[in-house]
Amino acid sequence: MAAPVRLAYTHVHSFRLASGESSGAEALAARVRLEDGTLGYGFTPNDDAGVARDMAAWDALGRSKGVALPALLGGSHRERIPVEKDDNPAIAPDWPALRKDLLAGRHDLLRIDPFAWGSLEQVVTIAASAAAFDLGVALLAPNAHPWEIQYCAALAATFRGDDTRIVLRISPERNEFEVKGEPGIGIDWSLEPAFGKIQWQG
Amino acid sequence: MARLGIAALRLTRVSIPLTMVHAGSMYVIQKAERTVVELTLENGVTGLGDCWGTPDAYALLQRFGREMLGKDALNRLALREVLGKSTYDNRHGRNGRAAYAGLDLAAWDAVARSLGLPLADLIGARQRESVEVVCTLPAAIVPRAVTRDELTEHLDVLSNTRLVVEFAQEQVRKLGFRNFKLKSAAYSPAWDWKLLNELKEAMPQARIRFDPNANYGPATATALCRRLDGLGLEFFEDPTGEMEGLARLREAVRTPVATNMWVVKDEQLAPAIRRRAVDVVLGDLFMWGGIDALRRMAKVAHAFGLKPALHSVYETGIATAANLHLAAALPEVEYPNDASLHFMSADVLAEPQPVIGGRMRVPQGAGLGVTLDRDKLAALAIETAEVRAA
Repeated sequence: MAAPVRLAYTHVHSFRLASGESSGAEALAARVRLEDGTLGYGFTPNDDAGVARDMAAWDALGRSKGVALPALLGGSHRERIPVEKDDNPAIAPDWPALRKDLLAGRHDLLRIDPFAWGSLEQVVTIAASAAAFDLGVALLAPNAHPWEIQYCAALAATFRGDDTRIVLRISPERNEFEVKGEPGIGIDWSLEPAFGKIQWQG
Repeated sequence: MARLGIAALRLTRVSIPLTMVHAGSMYVIQKAERTVVELTLENGVTGLGDCWGTPDAYALLQRFGREMLGKDALNRLALREVLGKSTYDNRHGRNGRAAYAGLDLAAWDAVARSLGLPLADLIGARQRESVEVVCTLPAAIVPRAVTRDELTEHLDVLSNTRLVVEFAQEQVRKLGFRNFKLKSAAYSPAWDWKLLNELKEAMPQARIRFDPNANYGPATATALCRRLDGLGLEFFEDPTGEMEGLARLREAVRTPVATNMWVVKDEQLAPAIRRRAVDVVLGDLFMWGGIDALRRMAKVAHAFGLKPALHSVYETGIATAANLHLAAALPEVEYPNDASLHFMSADVLAEPQPVIGGRMRVPQGAGLGVTLDRDKLAALAIETAEVRAA
């Protein structure tokens, strides 16, 4: 389920975050340009640029059509996502091991770091599996960065299970996060000064 | 584009004669009744849906449709929640899911048309331009819609199997089919054994699935499927009933076991995976209750080593096109699509959707990529309802 777009150009750039718990940490940002000229942006706090590119492609599709990510995926099951502090470890991105654990009934709640697991498709498949096995899903925003939380919220809105939440490693300022309706992923890219200084190519 | 409100709904129940009598263990029919859904958004774009045409499903379509008026089609997942699970599921059995699916399909089509995306791209991302399809073979070739007694008399004459073989060969010559689904009356294992052997002998390269619609008991089905195991059939489709029966039969054979009857909703998927009841989940858009449910099934089934496939039975070109888009969008679907449009004597669409070389093209253009032909629709119509807010 890659974003159904025709990319004219993709550029990935590293920069340093200034917000969230990871202030000073390096992140990757991606910008894609569609054949129709629409731009989309993505990021990851990790070193897998594929996550940022995948996010950017979905962002571009949403912007080009004037709709938010959930509308592209089918819609939202909820307008607000519960947010809470949770210190339990996220499930390691090992799909065969997770499948085995699901069959063995070893989880009630799947704590998933979407940036560690990879593409949107992978996260959506995990959420569908959680729904089939009647399990909750907690999307981890690993650094409590507002961009991470917004991406988690856009995905969590589309998950079917009624126990769907966002978890942080710190106490959240509020206990729920409103799903934004802006076109694309809905991230406010102006939050990070360094992002605005990236010299994008293409 | 903040929202795409649903402004109007029009339902037309149609009766479409089949080109021949179709006999199986569930029915002997010569016509198909469907309901065509036209869902118009506030932006003037109309999406098309298709659904069962039984009076029960038609009544539910009107009721559910009234609930959806004014709702945002961009938020298709919430449309289902508007109805409440018990309403479309337990209370009305499969009719509720089918009715919901007809409306859901029209909403997806309307949104895809509004966004300028082919439906396949809205479901996932278009992976292919054409899809291999399966030709249904009736359990027997009979001249009219016979009674069950008349059908069994016909099946008692084993030499009548040659009529089915000749029919299959004709489909190869005319439309290039390489895939067949033999419906079984589940009356005579001897008939099924002889006929399947003759089909394989006449068409050694053909992939053949065998579908008694769960009307053989577990012992009879297991004994028959064990005998058929060496034929190299594509799969046994609902050779017997219920998940436990399928699981036990599956343990006794090497041929894959499929179902479109016992794993038909979210709640049945995990038990089927855990019990290792089947190899193939033949998902039917109208039994699963819409595109998102079917898409989730495909992802989960594939993730756990089952093969998702697409089931259909005597639908208009609208549902046929929807299944082509689903197959194009879901890389998890490897098996050919069920298809029956070539058995319908007429359709409601302007564009023909021919089978060429055993394949059908995924329609191009936004949404389903098909156009309703009002004259054709009127000629097939039994009744029409404009759905209005209560």
